[in-house]
Amino acid sequence: MRLYTIILLTLILSLSVSTAFAKQGQITCSGSTTVLPIAQAAAEAFMDKHPNINISVRGGGSGVGIAALQNGTVQIANSSRPMKSKEMSACKSKGINPVGYAVANDAIAIVVHKSNPVKNLTLKQIKDIYTGKISNWKALGGPSLPIVVVSRDVASGTFEDFNEKALGGAKVVASAQLLASNNAVVSAVASTPGAVGYAGLGYITDGINVVNVDNITPSETSAKNGSYQLARKLYMFTNGKASGDVGIFIGWLQSAEGQAIVKDQGFIPLD
Amino acid sequence: MKTPIYFSLILALLLSIPVVAGAAETTLGGEFWTRWTMESGISAADSSSTLIKKNALALDRGYFDLKTKFSEQTSARFTIDLFSTDTVSDGAGLKLKYAFVDFGGILPIPDAKITAGLQKVYFGTIYDWDYSIIGKAPTDEYKVANSADYGLTVNGYLPSGMGEYALGVYNGEGYKKFGTNLKDNTRFEYLANLRLTPIPGVTLGGSVMTNSAERETALATDLPVSGYNTQMLMDGVARLAYGPVDLWAEYIIKDVEYPNVADGSKDYKANGLMVMPIIKLYNYLGEDIQIIGRFDRWDETENASAKHLLTAITGGINYNFMHDDSFVPAFQLQLNATQKTYDPDESSSSYAHELKDSLTIMAQLKWRFANILK
Repeated sequence: MRLYTIILLTLILSLSVSTAFAKQGQITCSGSTTVLPIAQAAAEAFMDKHPNINISVRGGGSGVGIAALQNGTVQIANSSRPMKSKEMSACKSKGINPVGYAVANDAIAIVVHKSNPVKNLTLKQIKDIYTGKISNWKALGGPSLPIVVVSRDVASGTFEDFNEKALGGAKVVASAQLLASNNAVVSAVASTPGAVGYAGLGYITDGINVVNVDNITPSETSAKNGSYQLARKLYMFTNGKASGDVGIFIGWLQSAEGQAIVKDQGFIPLD
Repeated sequence: MKTPIYFSLILALLLSIPVVAGAAETTLGGEFWTRWTMESGISAADSSSTLIKKNALALDRGYFDLKTKFSEQTSARFTIDLFSTDTVSDGAGLKLKYAFVDFGGILPIPDAKITAGLQKVYFGTIYDWDYSIIGKAPTDEYKVANSADYGLTVNGYLPSGMGEYALGVYNGEGYKKFGTNLKDNTRFEYLANLRLTPIPGVTLGGSVMTNSAERETALATDLPVSGYNTQMLMDGVARLAYGPVDLWAEYIIKDVEYPNVADGSKDYKANGLMVMPIIKLYNYLGEDIQIIGRFDRWDETENASAKHLLTAITGGINYNFMHDDSFVPAFQLQLNATQKTYDPDESSSSYAHELKDSLTIMAQLKWRFANILK
């Protein structure tokens, strides 16, 4: 009985102390490199308006951000995919209640070198390229040039979304270059004539070509109406309903003012 | 000593498998526990004074781990379990701990997979025990279940993070037994495990497993084997996690019957309780420090051959320094003190008279790594 009393008292004491020590004016977020430019730009603009609030933003990939939320070291996990059951279960068993907030729409654009004349790929062709069944652009109406497959590393939510929607969970060809960020993919494709890659819309530059997927161009309209098959939402996950400074920040990002920043960064606003 | 040869062979095999199979991604990892252990108690020769029974430094456990991902749905894990110490006769040990393949997307159930091979035993806390405390999970500690075994399981997660489940069939001998250690057990072990998290921070679960040891009748003579026994194992788990507090509780029942012993004199039922509170101080101190306690009570007083009632109390502190991006500790310094006491009135002579009572102090440096090779 004495043991139970000690445990109960320890619990009550710890909970009281945790409330007393809750940090004010400090928001930490990490995760998706796709969401990173939105989070960074939004944080800068938000801190200008709220100088008493400091927001630190880190990348690492969606999986890393969600794990950090699970371990209680960040208040916001940025993710370019929904949370998996396994991650939800791990969060909940640790007393973390993940709540997701959509902050932007995005489309995963298929990109090729500027000199590549191929303008359209079907989803099946994309799968065949990434699984190694098609290895030369000639088979797709392009020049006789070996295809250099560029993909993302597995901590990436963009990879997981792409793998699910375009590859149906199939294995990426062993010769693929696995890169750690959208920027790295775009740079690699821009500098390699035979390369094909994929990246969030916000990372598209003039140095590469975006190809249509099943004759649909990735755009605000096609992403919102669902006709572009590689469209997705970008999320911020918090522990429980976002409240306090975190709630104010996410609420502001979802507002018209915040969504203007989303658009400035090349992504698609929510409405 | 043959261990280095085995080690080299197994290592070569592990490293070649993902290459041969064309793995999409391979992660090489490891975990090593360097431990100082000092155990004190009394001896039969001199029960009046406490003496140091053990004072040793050792690499108490090492895992060498290879995880390969063949596709988003198919992955495998191979883990070597090794230790090195001068307190045992050959100075080192080497075993295969895990060697399994996960096949996802085969069953028409979301987030379900089939796991085949030498794998975790999904019983009680044994499969998610992360050694926040140096000691083993109670079901492992009190020889209720093996931590790993050869088998086939269907396991997965419930929607919306509501929990997880596993159904499995195993050998029932565990991963450590081989050769003459095997008890000619021809019956499989069957397992069902369910863990529910109805609200965040509250986890409730239970496991049921049936097992047996030795053959019912001898192969050579067809005569009944007296050591043959059947076991019904049950376990209830509760976990409460809120803010800095993580509280685990587990209740275990082990029901053993010897059908070939006519008077039932060897049958027994054992039960145990564990309560383990963990307090995380990171948010207060800015350092990843945990304070841990554990209370165990293991009642095997009905077991005629090893009657005992044990109470064990452990206090400990963990200092996790250097973490990966997800805040998983790369280095962990642990300090534990465990007092084990056997009830003199409820334990047989080999346990009573404080002969097996002990105070064990352990300090351990645990370090781990995981690198993606490709």
